[in-house]
Amino acid sequence: MDSIVILFIAGLIGLFAGMSKKPVISLFIASAGLIGAGVAAYYRGTYSSPFSSYSAYVPTQGLIIILLCAVTLLAILGGFKRYSQDDEHTGDYFALILFSLCGAVLMAQPNDLMLFFIGLEILSIPIYVLVGIDKGSSISAEAAVKYFYTGSFASAIILFGIALLYGATGSFQLIEIQSNLAIGIWQSPMAMIGSLFMLAGFTFKIGSVPFHFWGPDVYQGASNAVLMYMSTVVKIAGVYALINVFGQVFRDSYFFWIDLISLLILASMFFGYITAWKQTSFRRLIAYSSIANAGLMLFGLADIHNGNIFVFVSAYALATIALVVVNLIVNDETDSLENWEGIAWKHPLIGIALALGLFSLAGIPPMAGFFGKFTLLWAAVPHIPYTAILALIASVIGAFVYLRLLLTALKKPSVHIRIQLSLEQTLVLVLTSIASIGAIYFL
Amino acid sequence: MLILTNVVMLLVLLSQYTTKIVHDPKFTALTLLMQFGLVGVFTTQTILGFYLFWELTLLPIFLILYWFGSFEKPRALLQFFLYTLLGSLAMLLAVIGLMHATNQQTYEGLLAADVNALGNTSIILMAGFLLAFAVKIPLFPFHTWQAETYTKAPIAGTILLSAIMLKMALFGLLKWVLPIFDGVATDFWRWPIITLGIIGVVYGAVIALRQNDIKTLFAYASLSHLGLIAAAIMLNDPQTNQIAVVQIVNHSIVSIGLFLAAGIIEQRTGTRQLSELGGIAKVAPRFAFWFAVLTFISLSVPFTAGFIGEFFLIKALFSSHALTGIIASSTLILAAIYMLRAYQTPMFGPTKIAVFQDIHWSEILVFVILSIAAIYIGLAPQCLTDFVANSLTQPTH
Repeated sequence: MDSIVILFIAGLIGLFAGMSKKPVISLFIASAGLIGAGVAAYYRGTYSSPFSSYSAYVPTQGLIIILLCAVTLLAILGGFKRYSQDDEHTGDYFALILFSLCGAVLMAQPNDLMLFFIGLEILSIPIYVLVGIDKGSSISAEAAVKYFYTGSFASAIILFGIALLYGATGSFQLIEIQSNLAIGIWQSPMAMIGSLFMLAGFTFKIGSVPFHFWGPDVYQGASNAVLMYMSTVVKIAGVYALINVFGQVFRDSYFFWIDLISLLILASMFFGYITAWKQTSFRRLIAYSSIANAGLMLFGLADIHNGNIFVFVSAYALATIALVVVNLIVNDETDSLENWEGIAWKHPLIGIALALGLFSLAGIPPMAGFFGKFTLLWAAVPHIPYTAILALIASVIGAFVYLRLLLTALKKPSVHIRIQLSLEQTLVLVLTSIASIGAIYFL
Repeated sequence: MLILTNVVMLLVLLSQYTTKIVHDPKFTALTLLMQFGLVGVFTTQTILGFYLFWELTLLPIFLILYWFGSFEKPRALLQFFLYTLLGSLAMLLAVIGLMHATNQQTYEGLLAADVNALGNTSIILMAGFLLAFAVKIPLFPFHTWQAETYTKAPIAGTILLSAIMLKMALFGLLKWVLPIFDGVATDFWRWPIITLGIIGVVYGAVIALRQNDIKTLFAYASLSHLGLIAAAIMLNDPQTNQIAVVQIVNHSIVSIGLFLAAGIIEQRTGTRQLSELGGIAKVAPRFAFWFAVLTFISLSVPFTAGFIGEFFLIKALFSSHALTGIIASSTLILAAIYMLRAYQTPMFGPTKIAVFQDIHWSEILVFVILSIAAIYIGLAPQCLTDFVANSLTQPTH
């Protein structure tokens, strides 16, 4: 709760500070808010629902909030150059991002379905605005409209699922729903359909098959700076909410939905990686890669007692941010992969960050991505072994996508052009590189 | 194995002393990173560590091949990567499965665990390991990445690949897979692997007979020799395993020497085609001499390490099944044909090369070290077999 309050207040102050038209002040306030929220989460790792007087009290892992804040901090630092070009609105961008993060923190660890739904909406609505904030661009407007309509449908579907669950169990409280389902109500058609509706809404939010079609268009339409935020934080919050709802509340119907989840995992991974192979636009490639990674994150549901996706989502978020920052630095206007040829030679830091990030996404030891995938598979193998085998085959295809990108970036250019990095970009690239390779020390 | 790794690394750097590549900081850094990975593979005591270091060696070799090789298109390189990655992922699954099944992850723990009790599961788990190893060794149907990668890689990359990276697989077989899966799984996979190895022996040799490109020829020769070692190791007999170690070391010596010679020829003349070479011995007698020494070592002439290795391996195969022994021994005859052709044509054929700068002292030093090592092991193989005997005859189960 403290974290949410701090984020909200920082967002408000940031709105006013934005009037000074000095982007650095906005950045400073937003960063202070994010760091403060992270520290608060560290000391007060739990929050209770302000809406309900029920005794239900789900302890929140402060770690997730810290991860969300850290990723957002990297995202606003990495995108600062882009945001500050429009110095009248820099404060607005940061305020929107902080408000959206409030929603993410609220929904990542739900204890009440109403609260969860409110968090979801708080998360989504600022992003609809952020995607379309570039008013002059038609592609950006198209993306915003697409995202808004499909996102609204997804929210409605989740809401319908919540209503059905309420009808079946008579409560919004996750603990009560769980105890009611446990005595056999989960077999009632109403509860089953309700859980399926919620699954459908969730797959939309995290962008996995079968509700992934918005991804590439929206990612391409959003600017690199917004993409950094929406391809990481939204996905992390969504997948944690999904795992909490399904792993805790619906755990009695595990055998009812686990086959479906396996199917979603495989479809997302194969679809995402195979389609990514032929992309010519960087942001579309990132979109397909994020579809495939969303599939991998669903492995967290395979073992509802020991599943741990923390390492994997952090590795994914860090590597994605590193890639998008590089794209922002060298390729902000055209977004075409052709311009990626030889960019690793433009600045040593870019080369290092790219190589580490791509190896991490490809899941090659000793990068963080490998340990993430390993923990996922470690939990999944005893439960869904065949899915794990097929997923490994899919991740070989994925490794190819990333390695081809790396080879393009490493191609020796005919003329050497050195580019300058600004301070905050250097900071982001250094931090993501250290985190990608340093994961080995924390295991 | 550790000694082998570090000596080979030194030799690689020394042998490339005259070329540009060593003076590139990237190359040296990647080579040292690779050495780190290899030392890890050979020393680690946990199965997960084995997998980690195994994969870690893939990164530097990939970048070495990409930066310094002559791959016009990344296709061949990606093919190499696809094969090895698919193999390693199969191994990763097997590692996870094994750790789940036995609740152990240290070497001693796994040795003590009763893997035989798993029955068919142990056969499947072993298949995962074998797939990774078969790609690396390479065994017959999984070898297609080898020739093209070897040919297009820089000489240093080829030496690294054939002299030590491939040995990781044989080492893994000797240290991890055979002792752990001793019993049901090994009995199941013994004859399939031996058959593949023997097919590789004959197939590699026959293809090498017809090759015109000298590096491709040595690549297939390598396939042929390694097939023999893999087949013999699968017999899983302590005596044979000791000899297999001798032959592994010998193969490293031979492959460094031969690929270095091929590299020297390519560097000095700009071609690798046997049909365009000839008469080098007249202009470069020192090179001709040392190339001849290496050729004889690879032909397993008595008093060299290869003789001990091949003779006893073939004998072991023969005593387990006469037919495999007979087929395997054909490698001796075929090797004589293709190696002598590979030596004779460029050195003594009709003069086609007029200018050939003779070899540098650093290259001579490499050849001298290799020859002394090969002959010393050939005269006194017990120096190696005694060295490894203790670790190979550990009581299992």
